[in-house]
Amino acid sequence: MPELRKDPVLGRWIIISKERRKRPTDFLIEKPKTGGGFCPLCPGNENTTPPEVLAFRTGVDQIKDGPGWQVRVVPNKYPALIIEGELDKEGEGLYDRMNGIGAHEVVIESPNHEQSFASLPPEKMLLVLRAFRERITDLGRDPRFKYAMIFKNHGKAAGASLEHSHSQLIALPILPRMIVSELAGALSYFRYKERCIFCDIIRQEIQLDTRVVCQNDHFITVTPFAPRTPFEMWILPKKHSSAFCKEDDYKLYSLAELFSETLRRLDICIPDVPYNFVLHTEPLQSNGMEHYHWHFEIVPKLTSIAGFEWGSGFYINPMPPEEAATYLRQSLEKK
Amino acid sequence: MKKILLVDDEESIQLLYHEEFEDDGYSVVSAFNGEEALEKFKADQPDLVILDIQMPGMNGIEVLRQMKMMNADIPVILSSAYHEYKQDLGAWASDEYVVKSADIDELKKAVRKFIG
Repeated sequence: MPELRKDPVLGRWIIISKERRKRPTDFLIEKPKTGGGFCPLCPGNENTTPPEVLAFRTGVDQIKDGPGWQVRVVPNKYPALIIEGELDKEGEGLYDRMNGIGAHEVVIESPNHEQSFASLPPEKMLLVLRAFRERITDLGRDPRFKYAMIFKNHGKAAGASLEHSHSQLIALPILPRMIVSELAGALSYFRYKERCIFCDIIRQEIQLDTRVVCQNDHFITVTPFAPRTPFEMWILPKKHSSAFCKEDDYKLYSLAELFSETLRRLDICIPDVPYNFVLHTEPLQSNGMEHYHWHFEIVPKLTSIAGFEWGSGFYINPMPPEEAATYLRQSLEKK
Repeated sequence: MKKILLVDDEESIQLLYHEEFEDDGYSVVSAFNGEEALEKFKADQPDLVILDIQMPGMNGIEVLRQMKMMNADIPVILSSAYHEYKQDLGAWASDEYVVKSADIDELKKAVRKFIG
């Protein structure tokens, strides 16, 4: 029998369609061919991007907007939102509008065109995570921005338009609806129980040990109780923290180790799977929240969103998260 | 006389742009799809390329990346009726992105910026 499950933070329902049960091999996908050609993100082509806002370089090659970088952050050449100007909020009857002000940046995760984020060694992934932290911190000083969203599209089906590994940051003058709902759900739980819901989720998941994928001293990866897609995973700090930006390099290295392991496990289960990840963290200019807990959500692109999902907000998932966690746990051992 | 390679599958756009840019003193070479554009890019050595994106066969961004592999110094202006392709990071290989409109002043300005 199918099962309805409710996400305890958002109150969002999903359907686990057990009769459509699948194994990881049922999700195997053919990697789409990429056109190749000139890559504007490769070293040597720095003049095709806007001037960098951050770069980590090693060795003697320290010239801004030159090669020699390990991670490079540049504003989007054709941004969805523009950084200059004022919001000029206005009402039009019952409708609200404002200027499309925001920051839209691209984090180039490696100088190597072929290297995927998942295959970055922890010391290199640490640089990417540091870039996320430093850019969010910097944009947080701009009072026009309320939220900085970090996300990655990996693979064409997940929205990646260029094969060179990169992630994106968009700083927004408003809080995204998803974050508003998450904050509200977490606050409601906190008011009732005086505990962070995510801390409780971690405690319960460790106790049950049916949805834990992997963990280290500081972080844990779980398949959530009500996942939207097969193999959806969350990476959370074990110790309460609402702000990703407050994590020091030591913790970020530990995160890089677990992030790398998590994606390796996923790649063993379903090679070359397209996925998105999104960082969920507290709004800018917050000073720590007792009720909120930053985390990464990794959502493989294995199911399609059609009329039912659009109309209901429900997701239909053919893979129970307990089974997904078992496959993911066994993956490295099998390898 | 500076030479423009104009790549667009629409006959009406080809006619209009030909007339406008020739009146402005440029010579214009036409290509109606990506494959033809790459051949003419090699053979005709244009000073600038105006490149549509949505075309049958190779799309403009694929063509752009191949052209820039051959010669990154020739400026390429993407000219599309759609804003959406701005989200494609492959479009960063272009030197300018101009959204098509009835008024081609913006496109002319971009051309002047690169080849006078």
